[in-house]
Amino acid sequence: MSIRECAMNSAAFAQLKHAYDNRDEAAENAKKAGKIVVGELGADVPDEILLAADIFPVHVYANPEKPLRETDKYLEYAFDPVVRAQFEKIVDGTYARKINYLAVSNSTDVIIRIYLYLRELHRQEPEKDLPEVAFIDWLFTRNRMHQVRNELTADLFKQTVEKWSGKTLTDGDIVSAAKICNADRDALRKICSLRRGAEVRLSGTEALVIIGSAFFMDRQKHTELVNALYEEAKSWPVISGPKIYFTGSDQEDLSLYEMIESTGAVVTGEDHNWGDRYYDRDFNMDYTPMRAVVDRYMLREFSSKKAFVSQRVGALNRETKEAGAEAVIFYTNIYEEAASWDYPSQKKSLESRGIRTACFPKMQWPAEKNEGLREKLAAFTDSLKGGGN
Amino acid sequence: MAEEIRKPESKSSAVKKLQATAAAGAYQKEWFAGLKKRVENGEDFGYLNADVPMEVLRAMDIPFVVNQWWAAICGAKRMTPKYYGLLREKGYRDDLCSYCATAFAESLDPDDHKVDADGKPLGPWGGLPDPTIAITRLTCDCQGKIFELFAKNHGASFYAMENTVARKVPLRWFDMAADDWEDLYDKDRLDTAVEELNELVRFLETKTGKMFDINRLERVMNLINEQEMWYKKTRDLIASCHPVPVTVVDTINAVMQAQWQRGTEWAAAHAKSLYEEVKALADKKEAAVPNEKYRLMWLGRGIWHDFSFYQRFEKKYGAVFMWSMYLAMGADAYIRNHVEEDPMRALAARYIGMEDFLHMPPWNSQWYLQQAHQNDIDGVVYMVPENCMQAVEGSYFIKKTLEDAGIPVLIFKADPVDARKWNADTMTDLVDRFIEERVIPAHDAAKK
Repeated sequence: MSIRECAMNSAAFAQLKHAYDNRDEAAENAKKAGKIVVGELGADVPDEILLAADIFPVHVYANPEKPLRETDKYLEYAFDPVVRAQFEKIVDGTYARKINYLAVSNSTDVIIRIYLYLRELHRQEPEKDLPEVAFIDWLFTRNRMHQVRNELTADLFKQTVEKWSGKTLTDGDIVSAAKICNADRDALRKICSLRRGAEVRLSGTEALVIIGSAFFMDRQKHTELVNALYEEAKSWPVISGPKIYFTGSDQEDLSLYEMIESTGAVVTGEDHNWGDRYYDRDFNMDYTPMRAVVDRYMLREFSSKKAFVSQRVGALNRETKEAGAEAVIFYTNIYEEAASWDYPSQKKSLESRGIRTACFPKMQWPAEKNEGLREKLAAFTDSLKGGGN
Repeated sequence: MAEEIRKPESKSSAVKKLQATAAAGAYQKEWFAGLKKRVENGEDFGYLNADVPMEVLRAMDIPFVVNQWWAAICGAKRMTPKYYGLLREKGYRDDLCSYCATAFAESLDPDDHKVDADGKPLGPWGGLPDPTIAITRLTCDCQGKIFELFAKNHGASFYAMENTVARKVPLRWFDMAADDWEDLYDKDRLDTAVEELNELVRFLETKTGKMFDINRLERVMNLINEQEMWYKKTRDLIASCHPVPVTVVDTINAVMQAQWQRGTEWAAAHAKSLYEEVKALADKKEAAVPNEKYRLMWLGRGIWHDFSFYQRFEKKYGAVFMWSMYLAMGADAYIRNHVEEDPMRALAARYIGMEDFLHMPPWNSQWYLQQAHQNDIDGVVYMVPENCMQAVEGSYFIKKTLEDAGIPVLIFKADPVDARKWNADTMTDLVDRFIEERVIPAHDAAKK
């Protein structure tokens, strides 16, 4: 099923898909037009601050085809394959040509290491073609300390962006940018509501395109297209099949969702950063700008990397309920280990509510590399349809 | 990077010569028995990760055990194969985070506090008493999760402390740490750490009903400075001796065990006795390895389940493991003078750097280089943990920094506490080859 004909025939979807497939195009055009382009690595780089400075933000993404010549030299084996591939494009000079600066948030351990290694490469191997890097060092625990520290952290990033752009950012600039981001999140929430409820009209694969294209195109244009698409998608055919919730590794490409949905299931929600988590929680216009930035990025639903087990159990229970999921697929790439500690408690909690689970740890990337995965997924879907165990 | 092959673990044991090592071992057992009694009598008991500022609990007289020390005990008692089996049974992976997961795995063992038919305890040292408080710092993605699970199994309160990344990284941190610590860090990092300490104090006061007294913290901090000063003198003395009077087999055990007792009169006195004992050996020109030819540096955690590994190259090559971080960290990373001005800030300046010094380039690589020079190191054997993201620390930069200075480095993967994958023969062969192919030629070339 994956991307259906109704989607392919939509002009709005085609434009989103084009941006999703041609990830460098809009940034290149923006750069040619004189805009500053900033790469984002990590899921917690505040877009509002970049957009306020009229900067074009793009997500750093991995290329599975590229040999890891430089990466294998610098990174230990314990970095997961997606981050390894992302690092290759930074350290081999690819991104230095595509972006002006790199903003890194401490969203997971490996990315913190990437920042430290890039900083050290700047010092030890200055001849390398590397972008200037800013690091955003959030505190993730949800107590008084997070607000004490994180407003300072947001402000330090704002100062860096001001230096990069040569523009002093006013509260008004940030609020205007936040309105753009909120409108986009609102559009995504609306269209992704078509994944939920009794009648599912959007596949998980289609949703990944719609959400992920936001990372590579003008945000207002993205919002317009998503809103237009919503009007069309409301009448798209209903998708039948077991409703699956996906938890685990970020899915930068469509291959795994296509594989899952080709078995006759439909992914109605996920907790990774290239899916539903991207549009969770708005910038609160009632707060001061820095406080609203902290509130938006730090009080979203818990990420699998920066939360305790009990928090993750609660989060998954809420999310699966909202997504109307009948089953959950736990799927993590090799060396992406943190969620493994959540899994037994989450499984127990889900199964006590009658939600079936399947676990795929230590997976190779990209998904096609995993022998027998398609068959295992098919067997799981089959069991959900009552055809097996 | 070299790979090891799975085989049964070595059963050999290391030969230790120092009184101070034996004394530390004996004291630990006595102290642990006392701790168990206190817990049985209803006192609160803390279980802490190594980078938690334990000085606060010391000052408040709250008994505690340090996770890494306890994992080492479990490893040395060869309990880990059983424990990782229990993890597997409960649906957890058994190949992750072994250093931090050992105590959690132990908490799944229904036999931990039982005895066998002969009355011999089944758990290590009779098992870990139930902590009422579990504290960790969030220095990796998994640690908080594991500590929370551990706390839940023991019915303990879980408390997490944050970690921040240094923006300011003066290369010679080891020259600044003792006296210029205020300038060593970003001011806002220190401010945050002090705030965190104040929060920790409030939590502990509420939980235990005990009062925190800043004067007691000052006393604890001064005792630690005294203890670490002795380590500095010991490290400097060993570095200056050719041949060295002791090896890491003695110093690691003597220092690691006492380090977790830091802030006590016993630990300061023990550190002094260690120095005096080493000094007496040095004065007598006693050699740990009489045919010392090559001086080796050990980077990484100790191989707790096979300590004799360090001694396998002494007779054959005259190669002596004479440096480990355990003594040298005490010497360079812990001392914070001017405590009286603000004991809490001095403590903050101690604990926030611990991870950075060891796991963040360039602070780790620059320190290792300086230490290699001070200790006349001929080769470095660097154990990268198999399943610990916290210890992913820029091995490329460390190797490059040392090898650019002409010091050969061998990197291999192993697990400090999980004996299941350790193959003593393979590892010995690996180091044999390294000594023959890299260390000896480099040493000879330098001589010429």
